[in-house]
Amino acid sequence: MRTSPDARELLAISLKTFREELLPHIPPAQRYTALMIANALGIVEREMAGLDEAGHTMLGALALLYGEDADNSLSGEDLRERVHGLQHRLCIEIAAGDFDHESQDTLMECLEEIVEARLSIDNPKALKP
Amino acid sequence: MAALIDDTGRPRLEAWLAEATGATRVSVADEGRLGGGAISLNLAVTLDVDGGPRAGRHACVLRAQSAAGIQASISKGQEFAVLRAAFDAGVAAPEPIAACADPDVLGVEFYVMRRADGVGAGHKVVKSGQPQRDLARELGRQLGRLHRAGPDTPGLGDLPVPNPCPALDAVHAYKAWMGAAATCDPVLAWGLRWLEVNAPPPGELVLCHRDFRTGNYLVKDGQLTAILDWEFAGFSDPMEDLAWFCARSWRFGRNDREAGGIADRADFYAGYEETSGRQVDAQAVAYWETSAYVRWAAVAILQARRHTSGEEPSLELALTGRMLPEIELDLLRHLKAIGTMTTEAGVG
Repeated sequence: MRTSPDARELLAISLKTFREELLPHIPPAQRYTALMIANALGIVEREMAGLDEAGHTMLGALALLYGEDADNSLSGEDLRERVHGLQHRLCIEIAAGDFDHESQDTLMECLEEIVEARLSIDNPKALKP
Repeated sequence: MAALIDDTGRPRLEAWLAEATGATRVSVADEGRLGGGAISLNLAVTLDVDGGPRAGRHACVLRAQSAAGIQASISKGQEFAVLRAAFDAGVAAPEPIAACADPDVLGVEFYVMRRADGVGAGHKVVKSGQPQRDLARELGRQLGRLHRAGPDTPGLGDLPVPNPCPALDAVHAYKAWMGAAATCDPVLAWGLRWLEVNAPPPGELVLCHRDFRTGNYLVKDGQLTAILDWEFAGFSDPMEDLAWFCARSWRFGRNDREAGGIADRADFYAGYEETSGRQVDAQAVAYWETSAYVRWAAVAILQARRHTSGEEPSLELALTGRMLPEIELDLLRHLKAIGTMTTEAGVG
């Protein structure tokens, strides 16, 4: 249906061209803005390619916390709704004090995995120790 | 954004400034917007003052409330009072000149202060082969001086006093700022819960800057020239400012230099103890560092909302929202580090 190249391919070549051909010639006063644009487009690129993968990582981490099997068949909106539902449930349990005295290590591991999955899209560089 | 000082505003501003400074005449040259103001609008202005105690030419900054503002910040009138109190306490705050609450002058609340010279950008300030120990010590001394002001200091009557205690008041504020995010982001939920459970009882209340960090002070030839951005100031536990300064978020890549990316905590703390008359409480600083990450996360959510609400479309504000997972990673790393510390102390 779509005309080739598709959106991802167009974005990738736009970003490459912007970084290699425009960015070096941007005057200092506008450089910060230009870098912000490159940063934002980089996030878009990673989100288009990896949102489901990040969702599955998050789902896996949450499922482990609840001793359940993650549903690997989910994708797109269904996956995001499932992650959102489990995260909301976890928030309620945390706020009610369910982790005040026990399972803190397991909770911390789950939270780290969730954050790392989100960082793989928003800022993979921050994952380096 | 339209020019703050246009042809109709300028004569009103000049007349108001002449009255406020006891001059016969003031003329204002607008030198354009200064960077760094994500929440406030900062204009570089030069005042030519005829007559009165301030006669002469002065490089100044006109600082105004931005269109949307955020819940976390105080009004420009309050900020001016804080600046006055800090300046009078011997802190290197820019000298406050005059504040205007009359919307007929420029359409927004604003004040004028003296302009300081120097480099502010965090990534430039931390760039140094050797740790900047003297600078860290001096910043500690400055904070110690600021913390001698409190609710009884003249001129600060307008600032709210936390009730029942600064730590829990802060948690309530963060929750309010986060809105729905507090109930669908488990990292934030855990941060908030941790802060509630571990909150220290109310202690001494002092005037805190609340955004005292690398990126918010100016340095020239290695020397501190001014401490800026007073819009979050308020009364709180003194350890809050120390923790904020040392948080990972403001080290600009120099994680080996825990005091603002410029030196060790020891240098900063030593300067603080010199002038404040109190000891740094490492455990309280660790609590307030957790609070710092949760606060920064809440502020990032507020900033992103200014963009997503359509109120103030801005790429910078939009990207601030996308910084949330990074702030949360810092929070988790911090909680892990202090957890280990507690275990070790318990075993010892």
